This record gives sequence, structure tokens and C-alpha cells, in this order.
Amino acid sequence: MNEFSRRGFLGLAGAAGVAGLAACAGTGTAPSTGSGGGSSNTIEFWSNHPGNSKPVEQEIIKAFEAANSGLKVKLVDAGKNYEEVAQKFNASLAGGSLPDVVVVSDVTWFNFALNKQLSPLDELLATAKLDTSDYVDALYNDYNLDDKHYALPFSRSTPLFYYNKDLWKAAGLEDRGPKDWDEFLTWAPKLKAAAGSDKIVMELPDGSNYLDWVFQNMVWGYGGAYSKEWTPTFSDPNTVKAGTYLQNLAKDGYLKLSKDPAPDFTAGIVGCSMMSTGSLGGVAKDAKFPVGTAFLPTDGNCPTGGAGVGIPANISDDRKKNALTFIEFLTNAQNTVTFTQATGYMPVRKSAVELPEEKAFLEKNPNAKTAIEQLPKTRSQDNVRVLLPGGGARIGKGLDQIVQGQDVAAVFKALDAESQQVFDSQIKSKLGA
Amino acid sequence: MSTSTILGTLDDEKAPEAPTRRRRRRASHNVEASTHNRGPLWTAAGYAGMVLVVLVVAVPLFWILITSFKERGDIYVRPAQWWPDPATTANYSELTTRIPFFDYVRNSVLITSATSLAKIILGVISAYALSLLRFPGRSIVFLVVIAALMVPNQITVISNYALVAQLGWRNTYQGIIIPLAGVAFGTFLMRNQFLNLPGEIIEAARLDGAGPMKLLWRVVMPMSWPTLVAFALITVVNEWNEYLWPFLMADDESTATLPVGLTFLQNNDGVTNWGPVMAGTVLAMLPILVLFLFLQRQMIKGLTAGAVKS
Repeated sequence: MNEFSRRGFLGLAGAAGVAGLAACAGTGTAPSTGSGGGSSNTIEFWSNHPGNSKPVEQEIIKAFEAANSGLKVKLVDAGKNYEEVAQKFNASLAGGSLPDVVVVSDVTWFNFALNKQLSPLDELLATAKLDTSDYVDALYNDYNLDDKHYALPFSRSTPLFYYNKDLWKAAGLEDRGPKDWDEFLTWAPKLKAAAGSDKIVMELPDGSNYLDWVFQNMVWGYGGAYSKEWTPTFSDPNTVKAGTYLQNLAKDGYLKLSKDPAPDFTAGIVGCSMMSTGSLGGVAKDAKFPVGTAFLPTDGNCPTGGAGVGIPANISDDRKKNALTFIEFLTNAQNTVTFTQATGYMPVRKSAVELPEEKAFLEKNPNAKTAIEQLPKTRSQDNVRVLLPGGGARIGKGLDQIVQGQDVAAVFKALDAESQQVFDSQIKSKLGA
Repeated sequence: MSTSTILGTLDDEKAPEAPTRRRRRRASHNVEASTHNRGPLWTAAGYAGMVLVVLVVAVPLFWILITSFKERGDIYVRPAQWWPDPATTANYSELTTRIPFFDYVRNSVLITSATSLAKIILGVISAYALSLLRFPGRSIVFLVVIAALMVPNQITVISNYALVAQLGWRNTYQGIIIPLAGVAFGTFLMRNQFLNLPGEIIEAARLDGAGPMKLLWRVVMPMSWPTLVAFALITVVNEWNEYLWPFLMADDESTATLPVGLTFLQNNDGVTNWGPVMAGTVLAMLPILVLFLFLQRQMIKGLTAGAVKS
């Protein structure tokens, strides 16, 4: 209902009514340093509360204010997902009143960094004498552009292999995930026989819902990649091999794509899936069968995901300094544990797993343990997916076509050309500038 | 069928001021009569069609309602549960504890009433001026208003944001209300309605010495209720559901509206517990539903009042 007429045409009329007035305002005067609104002692934190984390965020903020007298943090509801936060941040870039700290996802940070709208953090970190070596390397280096880091990891997730233990037992399989995708292929017929005709062996999100994210694992598993640095490598024989594998899974009736596999999986209709660690809590709560989790097939080929926190470029140095103090606090070992236990995200600090409360938590939640043990085996995603504008959507669309039966080599060749063209026209000139 | 006949004769005798409406009604009357003469097969098909349409509209609403009373584990099951068993009101209490629901309701009511009121008043007054008052440049003003209707708000949103932010109105009621209060659609709709009113009545009122305001309130408005009520209804529903602008302006529950607030029940990364979301949807729907039922009555009343008066 709310979804329905949200942008109803009356809304158009409403905004249009003041269009004349607004036109005079243009995009406002460029916000000079410090005039981005806000006082230097109040830190405005724009967050979408990833994983329904608002109460935890408030708890951490309270602790921060207690530890840093004189500093206040204002938590702002900046959207329901990362894209909305980016939209709101974009509006504030045009209109002033910038936040001090903003949540940026793996996909949205790069464009802001490239256009110099986020501060590079390295100098700030050095001045504040903060050590970054405790951040999980793959997560920290996700925000690297020209040897500068533009965000620190905050709500980070990885995909996990989820499986229905009852079905695994019925098919006579060992209680573990597949070692690699070839092994999965030998399991699939057994699973299909055990599941029956009205159930599906494996369901993955479709191309508009991050199939391109989990498929990254298959590509790497077969030795391919979406890109090497900035050169797209879809036509690489190994990448094509992975694409063909995906296509054959669908052709043989083992694989189905859907908008969100979690409901089908928890309803017991689907045997296994690759989903975000963020789904862990919900799936475990909803499912009426024992849920198993495992590393993604093939070692060391798990992509990272989720979001970090950054600092806008056009605010005063004082505000930046305070913002960094807050970010450091928000992502320190203690708080990353508090935050991740409440949400299902990954602790972003290496030392976090050593804390006694985290040890106790993992003891009780073996599935969360799988996710954390997989963390050192993660790998930063290929540039073409996360850093090229529209990269994820472009690859997702191609993968959808493959699953529907189009020629793999042809689709990947087109992806190569398109990605190259987007890079040449939109990124190349700004790199190193 | 009998009521429509009566209305038809009433029209014939007593409502010479609305020839277009009469013609339309007569035409629909004829269509109705001809379908009634068709065989039982056609009637059955007609009913089947109606049932189908009702189902298409009603089933999702029904699903929202029953889901709001289900326990979490019962929402995603196969075969689907068509009746909450066991029923629970836990979703409703979770809704009010997990987000500041009543703050959102307050903001929604305030913002919707203020913007709707402003839009309706502005729409009526500007339409009146553009249709019945004579002044130089009238058609140019009208063209500008219509042109404003063509600009999508996604385009103006950034410059509006800049303006409002510079005024220091972010996260305030006026920052949300004032940019939304401008109206081109209402001007357009009401102007056309006013132009369709019979010139003789307006002229007669003027001859009897009615000033511009009296003409508007005592003569023009009573004949335009149905259109005005329809316009008001559309406005209120749209304002109630407005998302983009309140979302950009509001920072927290002190000004955010219901559509913005309800999104915080959803989980952006992971599994959403749909029970409270559906409970929130049901509660967000109710005021509009009540308003609709109430205004619909007025709409029909207005329609018949216009037909027999004068």
C-alpha cells in the first residue's frame, strides 16, 4: 500500500509548484569549509541501521558520549537501505548540511570517493595515531582507491552456504557443505531424488538481487574472475566455464532463481542456498528444520559485502577529527562484538574473536562460528562488480540471461565490452587525478 | 435499474444546467439496459468477471490482514495458512515497541492535514481566478501552472533540498510541508470543473450583486462538491503515502512520517519479520479507509444535490 502511490502524480504537482522558486535557488552556494551545517561538537551519524540495529547503535552512542564528555552524537534515520542513504547523502552534497559520519556500502562508497566527496582517512588516522592493522585485512582494503582508504568497515557480511540438514540426511550425504562445485554436481541428483518433485535443490537470488555477488564464488572457484584490476575478464575461459556450470545447473532442474531465497529456504521448499550471513538470525528463528551452514565451496573464494562508515570531504577539520574518534569507537573490538552479535554481521576486528563474550557467543551459536571462521578466507570483490557504476546490476542481468539459456560466451563477451566502455567513459579520466 | 430511470427523468425535467452529465447518464443507462437483455451466459460471465476483480483487489489485502495476526514461524510455510492459527496480537505490540509508531502517526496526521488543506485551498482559489475572473495574462499564468505539472519532482528534489537546507528547515514540519503545498494538478482539475458550470447561473449571480467571494462560496462551490471531494480524496491519499520528500527532510521520529517509519521494520540485509510490517500496514491503511468511506458518501450526496437544486 505504501509502496503503491509513493511517487503519485500529485507529488509531482506539489514539488513542481515550487519549481519556479527553487530554480532561483539553483543548487545553492557551494558549502564552504565548516558551513556544512552542524556544530563541531555534535557528530551527525547518518545510518540506515543495517540489520535493524538502531537500538544497538544507540547503546554504542551512549557509551561513546559517556567516554567522551563534550561530544554528542545525533543518530539520523537516513534511509531503509544503502541506496537510500546514498541518495540522501547526494542531496546533502548539493544542498549543504552535511553529516559527519555516513554509512556507505561496498557499492556506493566508490563513486563518492572518486568525486572527492569522502575524506581519505589515512592522514586523519595517522594524525590521530590510530592503528588499522587490527581490522580484518580483506575488509579494510575494500575501501582502497589509489592507496588511500575512504571508509572503515562497519556492518560487513559475507555469503554462507546454507543447507537443510533433514534433506542432507535423507539423501545420505555427510553433514557438511560441498568442497567444490564439481562435488556439488555429484550430490545434486541424490538431493533431487530425496527432495521430491515439488521441491528445489538449490535456490539463489536472481540478477536484480545480488546473484552477481554469490556467483563471484563460482567464478573464482573455477579460476576465473569478473576482472583483473580494471580489465574485465568475462571472456576468460575459466569465467565462461563457471557461467556454463551455472547454466547447466538450471538446465538440469537443480537451480531456481528468485527475488529472495530466504522465505523458500525457511519454508523447507529449497534444499540449499548461498545467502548473506545477515540472514542467519532470521533463518534460524523461522525454519522448522535443523539449518546447516558451511563455507562457500572452494577455499578462500568467499566475497566480502556489506557496508562501512566514511567521513564527508567538505566539513571542517575539527568535525573530521571528532568524526574519526567516533568511527574508531564504533568499530573497536568491544563494539564490533556488541554490534555483530545483535545483527549477524561479521566482527571487523581481528582481536574481536579473542574477547570472552564473543567466545561464549560462538560456543552457543555454531552457525555464527562458521561465518567467522570463514572470514580470514574472504577475498575483496572484483572491481568491475563493485566499483564500476551500475556494475552489479549489469553482471546480474547477464547472469539472468545465462540462466534463461542464452549462449554463455556471447553474453560474457558483451559484458566485457560494456564494462570496458563504462570504465573508459566514466572512471579512467578520474583515476589518479 | 429502477433508480437510474428515476434519476434519468429527474434530470430530464429539472436539471437543464447539466446537459453533458445528463447525456452521459442516459448513455450509460442504455448500455445497462442492453446488457440486461443478454442471455444468462453473459450475466454469469459478468459476475465471474466481477468476482475475479474483487479477488484480485481483496486477496492481497486479506493476506496483509491475516499475516499481521500470525506468529512468525507461520508466515512462510507451505501449504499456505489462510487463517492465523494460533492468532496473536504480538505483532501489534511489537510494532509499537520496536519503532516510535505513534510519533510517526502524529507526524503523518499533521503533515497530511496541513499539506492537503493548503493544496485544496490553493487549488480552489487559483482555479477560480483562472476560470471565472478576468484579468490580463490569465492564459499565460495558466500555461505556466500546467508547465509546472510536467516537471517530475525527482528533478526538482535536489534544488528544493538546497533551498530548504539553506533556510535551516531540515527536519522541521515547515520544511516538509511548504515545498509540498504547491499545487498544479488541483488548479487544473478545478479550473476545468468551474469552466463547465453553466454561464447563465454565474451571470445571474453577478447580476444579483454577488461579489467574487460570495460567488465562489454560495454559487460555484455548491455546484462543484463532487469534483472537490474527489480532488480532496486524491490529495489526502497521496500526501499520506508521500515518501521521497519526507524521507529526505526528516532525520528522526520528530518529523518522519509513517511510510518512512515503517521501513525501519524491514531488515535491509537478512530476513525481515513480516508480521509487524503487516501490522503497521494495516494500521496505516485504516485512517485512509475510514476517510474514504466517509468522503464517498459525501461525493454521492454532492452528486444528487447538484442534480435537484437550482
